Amino acid sequence: MAKICLYFQVHQPERLAKYNVFRRDHKYFDDEKNKKIFLKVAKKCYLETNELILRLIKETNGAFKVSYSMTGVFIDQAQRYCPKVIESFKKLMDTGCVDLLSETYYHSLAFLVGDKEFEEQVKLHKKKIKEIFDYEPVVFRNTEAMYNNKLACAVEKMGFKGVVAEGWHKYLGWRSPNFIYKPVNSNIRLLLRNYRLSDDIGFRFSLRDWSEFPLTADKYALWLSKAEGTNVNIFIDYETFGEHQWRETGIFEFLKHLPKEVLRYPHLNFVKINELANEEPVGVIDVPDMLSWADVDRDASAWLGNEMQTNAFNMLKELASLVYALGDQQLIDIWRRLQTSDHFYYMCTKWFADGDVHKYFNAYDSPYDAYINYMNVLQDLKQLINERIKKTSS
Amino acid sequence: MKVAMLGWEFPPFISGGLGTHCYELTKELKDKCEILFFMPRTKGKVKASHVKIIQVPGGFTGPYLKEFKGVITNEFFSKVKNYNECVVETALNYDFDLIHCHDWMTILGGIKLKEKTKKPLVFTVHSTEWDRTAGHPWQFIVDIENLGLHMADKVITVSRWMKNQLIKRYGVEPSKIKVIYNGISASKFRTSVKKLNNKVVLFLGRLSVQKGVDYFIRAAKKVLELEPDTVFLVGGKGPELKNLIKLSIELGISDKVRFLGYVPDEDLPKLYALSDVYVMPSVAEPFGITALEAVASGTPLIVSRAAGASELLKHCLKVDFWDVDEIANKIIGVLRYNGLAENLKRNGLCECKKISWSEVADKTFDVYSSLIRNP
Repeated sequence: MAKICLYFQVHQPERLAKYNVFRRDHKYFDDEKNKKIFLKVAKKCYLETNELILRLIKETNGAFKVSYSMTGVFIDQAQRYCPKVIESFKKLMDTGCVDLLSETYYHSLAFLVGDKEFEEQVKLHKKKIKEIFDYEPVVFRNTEAMYNNKLACAVEKMGFKGVVAEGWHKYLGWRSPNFIYKPVNSNIRLLLRNYRLSDDIGFRFSLRDWSEFPLTADKYALWLSKAEGTNVNIFIDYETFGEHQWRETGIFEFLKHLPKEVLRYPHLNFVKINELANEEPVGVIDVPDMLSWADVDRDASAWLGNEMQTNAFNMLKELASLVYALGDQQLIDIWRRLQTSDHFYYMCTKWFADGDVHKYFNAYDSPYDAYINYMNVLQDLKQLINERIKKTSS
Repeated sequence: MKVAMLGWEFPPFISGGLGTHCYELTKELKDKCEILFFMPRTKGKVKASHVKIIQVPGGFTGPYLKEFKGVITNEFFSKVKNYNECVVETALNYDFDLIHCHDWMTILGGIKLKEKTKKPLVFTVHSTEWDRTAGHPWQFIVDIENLGLHMADKVITVSRWMKNQLIKRYGVEPSKIKVIYNGISASKFRTSVKKLNNKVVLFLGRLSVQKGVDYFIRAAKKVLELEPDTVFLVGGKGPELKNLIKLSIELGISDKVRFLGYVPDEDLPKLYALSDVYVMPSVAEPFGITALEAVASGTPLIVSRAAGASELLKHCLKVDFWDVDEIANKIIGVLRYNGLAENLKRNGLCECKKISWSEVADKTFDVYSSLIRNP
């Protein structure tokens, strides 16, 4: 019996305004652009895919199940720009066939900022999910699946039963990602992404020179049926449907037929991710270094791989004590929004090897432009904070 | 394959990028085909080991250093005419499979040779009369270019921007034009110098309207508001010098802007190395070889989107020439943040290694081959 776990990551970053070094108006985010992009993706992906999934759940009498992780900044923007999106997710939740993961509110690098900050952002997210969906996640996913032993410990202490990580061969060795494991130093369940089967949909679906092109639901179901292990974790970006893979690629047709093709095999069934968190582990995985699901390196180098990124991040981190000391909620919120990993991703210079992925998602002409703009914002925020501190102390 | 290449200048007698281009191109082509390089007579004889240089006898001699500065005199034009007549006469004594001309100064001879020998004609356009005169061209030169572009079997040009100019202004059939970007001998530009105490921002080029130097001066004013210890160097000569000096005085930054005058080639690597950032704010620039030189020197580059080089280079900062705030914003970014400067430098040097003259030669040879196969 193999359990198929489909988890979709739902996120939209809040893009920064074009903020040159001469600006002092503190309007750091490009609301207009963010609204435009959000509405576009809502139309192309969220609303349509939600509707399709709702239909599939009904058609299969609840045999089709999925999981989502929605970032706080996604939910904020949905509420601001397109509340219909929230409503349609609520409808999905009402079926009982859908559950949610926990993560940092800001899709952020908070785990690298500090323990206190990390915990705070997870709590904020938890609160938001409870408030909107009346749900309490038991599985945690850190931003871009950034994971190591230390993270496992931290989230176990926070009460989570499962945590997501990349099923990367460097740490698995000969072992398959299709089983439940646990970390070396804690008892939490480690849920590993099957990156081959996930990327078949996420990245390769529309590649014409891929030997398996075109990928059909029956072919994919056959692969799943042959997979070894107790569970196959397909973790992909939700925007795969209609945004990364355009409608014309046939991605919606694929999804439409997937449940019934999978359920054709008596030994396959769909599960929500929290169901996996109750399973017994078969072994122990040791991840001393940072592991993620990004690009070919599967580490933190997409966000902190060059001097610009580390320099910007260190400056952001240095602001922590000042921001906390000042205690201004609005400034804390802005500072946290600047921790969103996407801002750092835009500064990535690993162009030559796997540049296409970065290029597609880059909001700027170049990583250099991204860095200058980010630093202008950060310098302005720093100045603002210092001015406020001076004011309050005098 | 034997190519009759009609050139205008060749090192050491050069006034611009054309001579360098011909030198590097013929050097890299030497293993692929035989080049007969025709050019005007010069005071000293031009020697090159890699290519046969044929200096055509005629009524005049070079070097041309002072002759061609954008201002066309009757005397200059009669020299061009004279050269084109003599080169046909001389070239007809040789055997060749293809004719390759560079810019309008050599194309009339090329057209004549094509008529007489029925050999295919390649015309490389490094710049047009429109670019050199900021939109106030001599009509007779435009006519010569026009004739050349239509008589040529294939046109090579140095950027997509330039290709579009040729389509728009001269009505050239797009499929006839092949874009081949310039190359760089990166090793020439590796040098180290002691940096100054101040941060240095460099402009280099002819001081003409189309180079956008006034935007550079205006950006300097903005930079100095936030980074007062910065020095701005303006290298080169040209008709705008007076206006630019006046502008820097009006803006109250004359003590921070230094006009260097003409900079000899041998001083260029040092000048680039001395500078913290190189700015090319061109309004119109067919290619802009100095952009490559700066990057090859490890100097971060801010380049106008209107310059051909900006199509080729990734690891630099791109700006709209009229956006003075953005130019200043980016200059300040490079001056303030070492991480940024270092990444631009390191990745730029890496990128430059791939932009070689041998690639230019390969692509040029492909053009030759396509014409000889299907004339």
